[in-house]
Amino acid sequence: MKAQEFMTTKIEYVDADKTVYDAIEKMVDRRIRSLVVKFPGKDPEHGIITARDVVFKVLSKGVHPKDIKVSEIASKPIVCVDQNIDLREVAKLMETSNIARIFMCEGEKIVGVVALLDLMAATLIMRARGEDVS
Amino acid sequence: MFLEKIISHGKKERKVIEEIKRHIKLLCTALGTFKVALEKNDRALVRHVSDLEREGDFIRREIISKIYDGAFLPYLRPNLCKFVESVDDVFDLLEQTAYNYLDLRLPEQIKDECVRVAFLNHRVCEMLLITFEAMLGGGDLREKTLAIRIYEKKIDDMKFGLIKDMREIGIEDFWQGKILSDFVSNLTRMSNIIEDASDNLQIISVSMR
Repeated sequence: MKAQEFMTTKIEYVDADKTVYDAIEKMVDRRIRSLVVKFPGKDPEHGIITARDVVFKVLSKGVHPKDIKVSEIASKPIVCVDQNIDLREVAKLMETSNIARIFMCEGEKIVGVVALLDLMAATLIMRARGEDVS
Repeated sequence: MFLEKIISHGKKERKVIEEIKRHIKLLCTALGTFKVALEKNDRALVRHVSDLEREGDFIRREIISKIYDGAFLPYLRPNLCKFVESVDDVFDLLEQTAYNYLDLRLPEQIKDECVRVAFLNHRVCEMLLITFEAMLGGGDLREKTLAIRIYEKKIDDMKFGLIKDMREIGIEDFWQGKILSDFVSNLTRMSNIIEDASDNLQIISVSMR
């Protein structure tokens, strides 16, 4: 199964100069675990901030989320691949890069994202269809 | 296995099973046609969906009359008929969606996502056919119905995104807004009915154990 079949196309963004508090508000409001971070500048550069970053790098340290900018804890660059990639390749890429999300891009534009849960759901569908899941 | 046993000596039963398969396959064709039509903005192809719906209606009538003409044991008939009616409900909804589409100019902001929903609707239908065939073979339907539920959940999530995007679209009059809203609502509701149909297959399967 190709990634484009099961990727999530709804991508939520946050500007790099916003506070972590703004990011938390957005994540909780939209019930999502990560946001793509837009860095300023001519070249469109993207990073990612996850719920894990927020809890481990800010909340657990006792830092107030309004006192820290998204850019300070975001990871970059993001891993971008073509949306026609096979989902098994995506799984391998996640394992080798030790990341939970792979972005699908068309040039500089992000068109979708595949996360761990998407991969697991796709595996169940492939099995139900009688396709090889190994 | 069990259903194969039930129908092995019955000509009528065998005919009904073949017709039900044809009915589901036709639905998959109609959903696939609609997806392509949406992608290419091919209005003639959208109109063709209506022809397929009429053909589906004809098959449904054939199946129901054959069932009540004595095919299958009486206790199985209501659930089989309910399943066939559910498949037909998807045909009706698809036709309605096609008419909605002909009445509107789909905004670019939501076009790609609508095509993706149409594609997933086609996939769910294929899974329904796989589930039906698994039931005939007496296989475990659990993982098949789970796959249908996963697709349905995905489409449901996409529906909320579409509704959010639609709020940003400028609407000039009441009917433009209503038709667009109906279009998205109908497009995202088909997988719900297919999910109900797959639940029905599960009931038929359990009731024959």
